[in-house]
Amino acid sequence: MSNSIDLSVIISITDLHSHDKIPDLYFRYKKGVEQTNLRYEFIYVTDRDSVKVNAELNDLLNIGESIKIIQLGRWFGDATALNAGFENSSGKIILTLAPSQQINETEIPKLIDSLADSDMVICRRTKRLGNIFHNVQAKIFHYLIKLALGIAYHDLGCYARAFKRDVLLNVYIYGDQNRFLPLLANRYGFKVKEIDVKPLHEELSKRVYSFGHYTERLVNLISIFFLIKFTRKPLRFFGFPGILIFTAGLVLALYLFWLRMFAGESLADKPMVLVSILLIVFGIQLFAIGLVAEIIIFTHAKDSKEYIIEEIIDESKSKREDAKKSLEEQI
Amino acid sequence: MELSVVIPVYNEEESIKPLYDSLVKALDKLLLDYEIILVDDGSKDKTFSNASSIAQIDHRVKVIKLKKNYGQTTGLHAGLQYARGRYIVTMDGDLQNDPDDIHNFLLKINEGNDIVLGWRYQRKDFLISRKIPSKIANWLITKITRVPVKDNGCAIRAYRGEIIKKFPMYSEMHRLMPVITALSGAKFSQIKVKHHPRKFGSSKYGLSRIYKVLIDMTALKIIFTFFHLPLYGFGIFAVLSGIICLLTFIYALIDVLYNPGDTIVTLMGIGILFGSLSVFLTFLGMIADLIYKSGDIKIEKLLKAK
Repeated sequence: MSNSIDLSVIISITDLHSHDKIPDLYFRYKKGVEQTNLRYEFIYVTDRDSVKVNAELNDLLNIGESIKIIQLGRWFGDATALNAGFENSSGKIILTLAPSQQINETEIPKLIDSLADSDMVICRRTKRLGNIFHNVQAKIFHYLIKLALGIAYHDLGCYARAFKRDVLLNVYIYGDQNRFLPLLANRYGFKVKEIDVKPLHEELSKRVYSFGHYTERLVNLISIFFLIKFTRKPLRFFGFPGILIFTAGLVLALYLFWLRMFAGESLADKPMVLVSILLIVFGIQLFAIGLVAEIIIFTHAKDSKEYIIEEIIDESKSKREDAKKSLEEQI
Repeated sequence: MELSVVIPVYNEEESIKPLYDSLVKALDKLLLDYEIILVDDGSKDKTFSNASSIAQIDHRVKVIKLKKNYGQTTGLHAGLQYARGRYIVTMDGDLQNDPDDIHNFLLKINEGNDIVLGWRYQRKDFLISRKIPSKIANWLITKITRVPVKDNGCAIRAYRGEIIKKFPMYSEMHRLMPVITALSGAKFSQIKVKHHPRKFGSSKYGLSRIYKVLIDMTALKIIFTFFHLPLYGFGIFAVLSGIICLLTFIYALIDVLYNPGDTIVTLMGIGILFGSLSVFLTFLGMIADLIYKSGDIKIEKLLKAK
């Protein structure tokens, strides 16, 4: 291909996203992307039901802008949208941007340049304006991640990220895990770099989230925690509490048995008996679940390659290939 | 290719050169076609550049550089997948194993064994922090699995290439590789090897691995024991708790018939709990069955070609 593309910009957007006016933002982003002097393409991922977004995107098409629009039949979350956009992209570098402006477009070249010595670049918006409640909540969120996973990032909510194609080829995310992409990439061994960007003064979106939003986030956090820490050794995760609870139940049961036998106390009206049996049953269940998880990993270990080879030095092979090539040329 | 020697290395810049020298000295005597695969598990020092400068000169040396430090199992896995030898010898990169032993390993393999394990009968390590935990771990592993491996921690081992490549390797399985292969029916034997104390760097293993090894071991044992019929494995426990459930119910019934004044709530409660456990385990067994069927590792295929 003569006009191959270096940079694919992917923006996922629906009517439900709080977003800025699409054309305004598009031209701003475009100005920033043009400063990089790379051949680029813009890919918008949306769903069929987002009437307003689709209308605005069509307006862009009608005035002659060459953007790609991918319309999903249903919205399965930002990460799924990103995958759909990624499959239809051809750039060596992927740049994801948020539907509402999170960073100044002049930062885009800086983002791309930083990729020179890393595989993924994410932004950290310094000195954010916004209400205190939101800032505190973000702090707590990132602190929890650091506590659980030992990886410290400061601004996972910023979707302005640039990364090499390799990252998404290896890391599989789904549903709403978009936010956690840097964490997963880091675990796979990609170098993730955080750069400071100046906040926008006109950052306008009102961040008022519903209760459901927080529970969703918490569930996501737990699933990511499990994904990163224990997918390769599920029985260690389930087994420990399982054994602990089982032992607690057993000790309690033995104690009650001892009371009945040697101290002559009646057990029929003691709720403790039920508690001890409940603990035993619960312990067994946890262990059994862990075992099933372990069977899944064992029988599927072959398809999940979880490491990345950076380089292979094999002179004998390259020599063989050279010989083969020269032979082919002669023929 | 007759022989591949796979060596995962991590931060061993000083060891690389002496390791290479002693390996070549030992292997050249064997008069066979061999390759040495060094897997750099994301070292932070000059391990990779040292290794690759050797690979530039000696083309029998191959270097695989991993993106970051994933742990020894992954390093081994990457090396094993790349190896093309009919026999594969794995060893540590810290000069604790003696390459001269490789000869004995190959002799043992030729006797018809699938796996030959090293056994450091005179370990040169600290007693409290290294020897005793390892003794306990080995004893426990033998107790649980009934596979009498004397030294699960010894890194120098020889495998038949086509066998080891088929086994799943994940988490920290490399320590349990002998047991896994033995559980699945491979023929193994053990030979005494020399053990040198560490010259450079420091040991990369901590003290308490017993819980991890134990839990992984239990999982493997159960997986292999009930591989032929997972429903049966869970089923035993399901039937057992079903019986307990039934007995408590019957006892409660008799009790209430003869002593109408008694309270039987607790007894009934126990019965219900065990009853639910029974149902739960039955369903889990079905799920396990489903997973085995859909999985792509079939135990009967692990050990065929010979």
